Amino acid sequence: MLKQRQGWLSAAPAIIVFAVLFVAPLSMFFVVSFWQVKLFALVPTFTFANYAKTFQEYSGSLLFTLVIGLTVGFVTTALAFGFAYVIRFRAGKLGPLLLFMALFTLFGGYLVKIYAWKTILGREGILNTALMWVGVIDEPLTMLLYSPFAVIITLVHYLLPLAILPIYGSLIDVDDHALEAARDLGAKRGRVMLGIVLPQARFGVIAAFAMSFLVSAGDYVTPRLVGGTQTSMLGNFIEGQFGLRMNAPLGSAMSFTMLVVCLAIIIGLWFLSRLTSPR
Amino acid sequence: MIDRLLRPSTWFAVLVAIFLLTPILLVVLFSFGKNQLTTFPMGGVTLDWYREVFDWPQFWSALKTTVAVSGTVGLASAITGTLAALGLIKLKEKTAGVAISTLGLPLMLPPLVIGLALLTCYSLIGMPLGRISVILAHLVYTQPFVIAVVHARLRQMDYAAVEAARDCGATPLQAFMTVTLPVARASIIGGALIAMALSLDDFVITFFTLGGGNTLSTLIWGMLRTTIDPTINAVGTVIICLTIGMTAIALWVTRYRG
Repeated sequence: MLKQRQGWLSAAPAIIVFAVLFVAPLSMFFVVSFWQVKLFALVPTFTFANYAKTFQEYSGSLLFTLVIGLTVGFVTTALAFGFAYVIRFRAGKLGPLLLFMALFTLFGGYLVKIYAWKTILGREGILNTALMWVGVIDEPLTMLLYSPFAVIITLVHYLLPLAILPIYGSLIDVDDHALEAARDLGAKRGRVMLGIVLPQARFGVIAAFAMSFLVSAGDYVTPRLVGGTQTSMLGNFIEGQFGLRMNAPLGSAMSFTMLVVCLAIIIGLWFLSRLTSPR
Repeated sequence: MIDRLLRPSTWFAVLVAIFLLTPILLVVLFSFGKNQLTTFPMGGVTLDWYREVFDWPQFWSALKTTVAVSGTVGLASAITGTLAALGLIKLKEKTAGVAISTLGLPLMLPPLVIGLALLTCYSLIGMPLGRISVILAHLVYTQPFVIAVVHARLRQMDYAAVEAARDCGATPLQAFMTVTLPVARASIIGGALIAMALSLDDFVITFFTLGGGNTLSTLIWGMLRTTIDPTINAVGTVIICLTIGMTAIALWVTRYRG
């Protein structure tokens, strides 16, 4: 018991940081979503008007954001799983080198990466000039930049190394002997994957998906810089509430609507994954 | 080796690595290019863009703020994170796992939501925006990395040695300094470096909680909206060198193999 109490005491600073700088601000921000703004000042009330307005005015944008977020989530998770699987089971001595190369790009500058894609995908960009030089196209492709495609590829590139970490972490613990035993007993490759590898890697896969889905659904910098005028995501409208419009309550209601919808989707997918995978 | 190179699955992983590295390498490459536009042909090799950036007072003041913020964040999260890891190792493994996941929640949320929640909260309690408010904001999502890395290292350690030291009359601090620290030192440093890289890399939360002035990431945000010449590539290369340098050292000192 004493040991336990010492343990919690030692963890106290971190827990206080978490409580004061994460739980408290987020709770306060949630409370603000029921408030109103009058003459640029916050007025504490209790109204659902902000949520009503979110659904009336921004449901189209929310839907678009969810489609982008889900696409990024699925593509990122699939690529990250494939990469981590190859590193863990198939690449042999090349594995650590490839993993190191991927982790190298973990924190290579969020804005720098978005800027890099802007220069790659632009009308006079690297991809267009390269394709024209090779002779694949005569005219530069204009639909590369300032499109949903640009937003998706930029976000996948940013989130992929972060998604590889938890998946690779969960694949390390998979027992090689169990795989060999299954193969010796005649299990086909797909059966080994579904029966042994995926169930054990499920936590890592779900964590990677949840992270990449939530972060991309809440992003506003990428659509602003490479999405163009037609690709505004909910994050852009949320951020707008804190700039000129000064409507923190509406921005807060929009944030929590987005979070709740995203969490519902993640929980739904989690139960779906439990139903489909054999016990 | 050769037969593994010929496997399609290996090629898939190699292509993913190329996809991840190419955009970053292009930024570095074009920071040395003579051409005004970031496109091929890049012209000759030049250091002009770096000269321009290094002659720019705003760059130095942003760099100073960045070093102060991410240095403090690294140190502070090393302290809270290491203390937490030392504490959690004493708890039941399942409880510790739940605690680590809970403390890691800030990493799952969009930075926009965290930044706006903190901004609203700071302004409601009347906290002035500045370096301190940014450091506090960063701390909450950098400490989980230190906790995870250090906790993983402590789990491999033989805890009986600490208890033996305590039984022989060492104070908790002595036991920590002589037994635990030599084992955990590398992972503490590695965790702190990752925390610094995360802090340096962040734009969204910094943007909302900084108030006035610039860090390197808010500086580059301003440049992205006003300039299109390769000085952005030069500043970008500085950021890349700092973050990747820290990550590489962190991976090396912790001997990260996954």
